[in-house]
Amino acid sequence: MPGTRLSARERELLSTIESHPLGRYKRPLTGAEMIAANPYRPWPARITSIQTLTEYEKLFEIRLIDERIREAFHQRPGQFVEVSIFGVGEVPISITGSPTKQGFIEICVRRAGKFTTKLHSMKCGDIVGIRGPFGRGFPIDDMRGHDVLCVAGGLGIAPLRSLINNIHDERSDFGKVTIVYGSKSPADVMFREQLEMWKARQDFDLHVTVDNPTDDWDGEVGVVTKCFPELEIDPAETFGAICGPPVMYRFVVDAMREKGISYDNIYMSFERHMKCGMGKCGHCQIGHQYACIDGPVFNYWEAMNIQGSM
Amino acid sequence: MLYRVIEASELPSIIEGFMESYEVVAPVKRGDRFVFDSVSSADEVELDYTTTVSSPKKYLLPPEEVLFNFDVEGNDVEESVIEIKPRVIFGVHACDINAFNRMDLVYRSGKYPDPYYVARREKTIIVGVSCMPTDTCFCNLWNSDEARFGYDLFFTKIGDGSKYIVSIVSVEAGTLLESLCDLKYATDEDRIAFREYTARRAKAFNPDMPDIKEVAMLMDTFHSDPYWEELGDRCLSCTACAAVCPSCFCFDIADFVAPDGTKGTRKRLWDSCTSPSFARVAGGHNFRPRAMHRVRHRMYHKLNGFQSNYDRMLCVGCGRCIKACKANINPVEVLKFFEEKEVQ
Repeated sequence: MPGTRLSARERELLSTIESHPLGRYKRPLTGAEMIAANPYRPWPARITSIQTLTEYEKLFEIRLIDERIREAFHQRPGQFVEVSIFGVGEVPISITGSPTKQGFIEICVRRAGKFTTKLHSMKCGDIVGIRGPFGRGFPIDDMRGHDVLCVAGGLGIAPLRSLINNIHDERSDFGKVTIVYGSKSPADVMFREQLEMWKARQDFDLHVTVDNPTDDWDGEVGVVTKCFPELEIDPAETFGAICGPPVMYRFVVDAMREKGISYDNIYMSFERHMKCGMGKCGHCQIGHQYACIDGPVFNYWEAMNIQGSM
Repeated sequence: MLYRVIEASELPSIIEGFMESYEVVAPVKRGDRFVFDSVSSADEVELDYTTTVSSPKKYLLPPEEVLFNFDVEGNDVEESVIEIKPRVIFGVHACDINAFNRMDLVYRSGKYPDPYYVARREKTIIVGVSCMPTDTCFCNLWNSDEARFGYDLFFTKIGDGSKYIVSIVSVEAGTLLESLCDLKYATDEDRIAFREYTARRAKAFNPDMPDIKEVAMLMDTFHSDPYWEELGDRCLSCTACAAVCPSCFCFDIADFVAPDGTKGTRKRLWDSCTSPSFARVAGGHNFRPRAMHRVRHRMYHKLNGFQSNYDRMLCVGCGRCIKACKANINPVEVLKFFEEKEVQ
């Protein structure tokens, strides 16, 4: 910008674009200000742990390198980040870790295309870019003091795990917690160790089901809604949380409604390709709403008022 | 608002005066049509133009924009400052100014102001000019035929065309204008001439245009109407509608890497919801797989959805898509359909 002189330090911090007020800063910027100066700028983050979950899915633990950015990063369960590999591109990925694990971002990634194949080939210590967190997550604070029924299908466990882990770490804040997790086959079941842990606890009612069992599968069989008749739900006290493949929502919502849960207490996270994450690029539009700023978590009442949501 | 009167004969020197400090873009003639382009002389400027082929949005949201450069090996954004040239868009019609104002709602306000758009908007002086409607104009339907804000200067031609009433909004443009011409106070005669102009323009709109204000409600009610199938079957998915539209603002983000693979650029590029892959997610699922879904989505966002969010249509009635679409899909066709639906 003509007439604007940036100091060397400001140039260092605000590397990508001038905009009107930047030249006026007379003090070091906070992490939040650095992010706001150009929200398109990904910040370097180091992969600190990689765990293979299935043949196609890996769990990455990532830590933002700059302390100021790390401190400004406040996630809520159900939010997502934009992950960059410079030269390959940028994709939105839901955060699967709990906000209670401050300082680390966990993402669960299925190898599906060019970007995720590249990410799967990366090693601990490698650098990616992170923008975010973005979006409206699950209403965790409204859920405190109440029962929660989580229903996940396939990779839908990833965003829901952020909610479940959060509840786990602050267990006494919540009432009865029921988790239903469906997969195609036993080989697709993720987070097995964690499932064992939840199963062992008295205060989680866990149902793991598969569509196509193998001979060694001793769990439940069938779609996620199959175990609904046996679930003991207090509808006036229960929040529903759903995430799964597009076809799943209608069935689970109907099953929850049948249990008597109110329209506006059934929350679901929608998958869309949020390219900018900031309500501009349009790729994640669902009717008149943007999954990136209005969602990705919507309650059923809101979803019914969005043309083309389900 | 400040209003002053100038002689039409002063316009060339005003334009040339702006050129001394700014890049000036203005409507110019190309063949038998008009486009916005950079000008080097006031003679090129055609202020009595009809409608340009595409809108001046390209000066605020370029078709291809560098977000930043990056270093592939270093895995980080490179240090750089993108300079934005101060520019004047001279001769913008009210509909296009209203489209800028709608873009402002998305790019300038809200939780995430867009630094690129905001920088361009702040460095761009918008000079509006009055017009008379063509056959494809329907800006009056939703009051986009008058720009009430979002510009620096607005010239309204009055009387026999020898005078303009100038609405002066910004101090930057006002100060410059003051130094370039003789600003006179408006007389009663000028005021009457201004009223004559607005009355004349109101009568000049194509009488065949549908007059239907409750379209948003009707669209919700008829979301599953077979009419959308019919439009979908016709749509070529060419995305020309979005390219010419002054208020379409969607984009794609992509990385471009130098041949040696060490450096690259992340850019944003215009994109359109009528493009087949627009709503596709990882793994291949497409939330709007058919042209019917995409055409319907676009019309909904224009005539219903944006109104739900911002209390105004995302269509300003410039009529460009009517000319650009080879399949005759446009808001007027949709409005006509719903106008008939109403009668049934």
